[in-house]
Amino acid sequence: MIGRDEFVAKRSARWDELERLLVDKGLHRLPPATISRIAALYRSICADLMRARSLGIGADVTGHLDVLASRAHNVLYAPKPYRLRALWELVLFGFPRAFRANWRFNLLAFVLFYLPFVVGILGALHSTEFAEGILPRSMLRGMEEAYSHGFDDGRATGADAAMAGFYVHNNVGIAFRCFSTGILFGFGSMFFLVYNGLVTGTVLGHVMHVGHGVNILTFVCGHSPFELNAIVIAGGAGLQMGYALVRTDGLTRTASLRRRAPELFAQISGAAFMLLIAAFIEGFWSPSSIPPPVKWGFAGVMTILVLLYLLLFGRQRTRPVKAKPGRKRGDSADAPPPSSRMSSPPPSSRMSTPPVSAPPPSFASPRQGG
Amino acid sequence: MAGMQAQLARRSPTTRDEEADPLDTTADVETPEHVRFRYRTAGPARRAAAYLVDLMVRAVIISVFGFLALIGGASLGEEGIGGVGIGLLLTLYFLVEWFYYVVSETLMGGRSLGKRALRLRVVKQSGVPLSFSDSLLRNLLRGADLLPNFYLVGMIVMGRDRYFRRLGDMVAGTLVVSEESSRVREPLMIHPPPTAKELSRIPARPGLSADEVEALELFVGRFGQLSPARQEELADLVAPTLADRLGLRYRSAARFLGLLYFRETRGVLPEESQPPRPTPNLADYGPGFQPPPQPGQGWP
Repeated sequence: MIGRDEFVAKRSARWDELERLLVDKGLHRLPPATISRIAALYRSICADLMRARSLGIGADVTGHLDVLASRAHNVLYAPKPYRLRALWELVLFGFPRAFRANWRFNLLAFVLFYLPFVVGILGALHSTEFAEGILPRSMLRGMEEAYSHGFDDGRATGADAAMAGFYVHNNVGIAFRCFSTGILFGFGSMFFLVYNGLVTGTVLGHVMHVGHGVNILTFVCGHSPFELNAIVIAGGAGLQMGYALVRTDGLTRTASLRRRAPELFAQISGAAFMLLIAAFIEGFWSPSSIPPPVKWGFAGVMTILVLLYLLLFGRQRTRPVKAKPGRKRGDSADAPPPSSRMSSPPPSSRMSTPPVSAPPPSFASPRQGG
Repeated sequence: MAGMQAQLARRSPTTRDEEADPLDTTADVETPEHVRFRYRTAGPARRAAAYLVDLMVRAVIISVFGFLALIGGASLGEEGIGGVGIGLLLTLYFLVEWFYYVVSETLMGGRSLGKRALRLRVVKQSGVPLSFSDSLLRNLLRGADLLPNFYLVGMIVMGRDRYFRRLGDMVAGTLVVSEESSRVREPLMIHPPPTAKELSRIPARPGLSADEVEALELFVGRFGQLSPARQEELADLVAPTLADRLGLRYRSAARFLGLLYFRETRGVLPEESQPPRPTPNLADYGPGFQPPPQPGQGWP
């Protein structure tokens, strides 16, 4: 049996060499000979590690080798670099696909947002007390003030920029919050969808109630097709997370969540993209002095564009379902949606390394729900 | 030490299960070469410290660039403090709030500045570096982890998970690991050096598990910092269990553990010509156990 000292004396030259070679530079910037040397040293250190562990050589040696091996592994097995083109394709095609594949959630989010929205409009139109019950009076006053005269003169460009910044900050934040809180078994998404729908509807209804309806509607018509629907989509993605926690298909809850990750990524990227467009329209187009008929026409075109984008983009020409008539019906539910082809596959699948065995779903205790 | 005692007590003498939970919070990664190595997962305290560093970095970014934006906006000379400046400031604030981590983690191999300062790194659970989409998901979900305040949800979830993952880590399939700058220590010595007589009472291979050897090593490494009385006190928590199992007796518990460690790692002294064979206590191997044939008694 080889002792600790002998083992260290024999092998430590290689360990030190690898440590010297592992600098914080991209691997591709190193000369080829160095790269293959790192790879060779990495393999030999993996062998040393296994040996040290089976021989029961001290914790400092195995610990040191663990660190070296993990650092080398991290350098050698890099993820595919994410290209801007891939992101662009994801937003243009992968996102609408993922949106349609999860239409049930998006429909539910749509209802959760627009039902309170309509209630807010009708309630605020009906009585001022309703609006004051939902929003503080000072805020309603501010809204009345803001829309008391139209945008015939436009707004100073400085104010435009300030408002665009505000919309980016506020609305994208709302959408991201609608998404992220969905992990609390979907309750967070539900709450924020209903809440934001109600508030938005109430403001709209209240301003219409005090008589500036044309002003506010002309203002919001341009960007709302993007903005409101993006919030709905973000909320829908949040609901998917909540559902993945409940219906796990025999996986652990974390594994079930992770299975959804590519689709979630596609949808939240798409929602962010739509919100970016909305912020620019809202900052620069909506408050401009362009005559209202043009704005209304623009709004119509934008609505149709959004619909076309969500419903038609990224459809596959060949239909694999028709090509195989013998296919079982249940397959389509479990098969990964086509969108996962667009998004970057998890690197683990490329390398066929099994993920670390998932722990029991310990965090899913009902105490944390909501 | 009490935890180790429990570990030792649970282990039956005949089975040396390798799959027992390790003493430390680690995550195993199996590589394509079928090698397992261990990441040391980072706990909430260190991650909170890294968060504070990042918070300060973000504050500096916002105040420096925000100040520049406001000055730039004001110099355009529109209504007092320029709206352009405010617009830029709010956009900047938004970008830093939601994308600081995504950008810094993606560009710097899973290490934001705060993580770098505390030697932390985000990796995928398979051990590979994280990609842009992983980083985006795990950082968007901060919105849930920081609820209701001060990352309370994230802390609770982290505390209940054996890899200290918060919700964002679970969705993205990532871990935060700590990268100690490690080195191989000089070999541990016990003082005074073990005599042949002392060693003759300890079997040449006591047959401890790797975890036990590790625990012994950590203990022996601290001999210099502990008073002899404290050494004895700590060693007394474990030594009886080990002595029972190995069928040995000892006079000083700390010395006994030191000798065990010495035997387990250093093996045989060169001057020991004929290491005494340990007499196995057959009852330990369970009923019906046949002793292995001695050399020359049935081996071909």
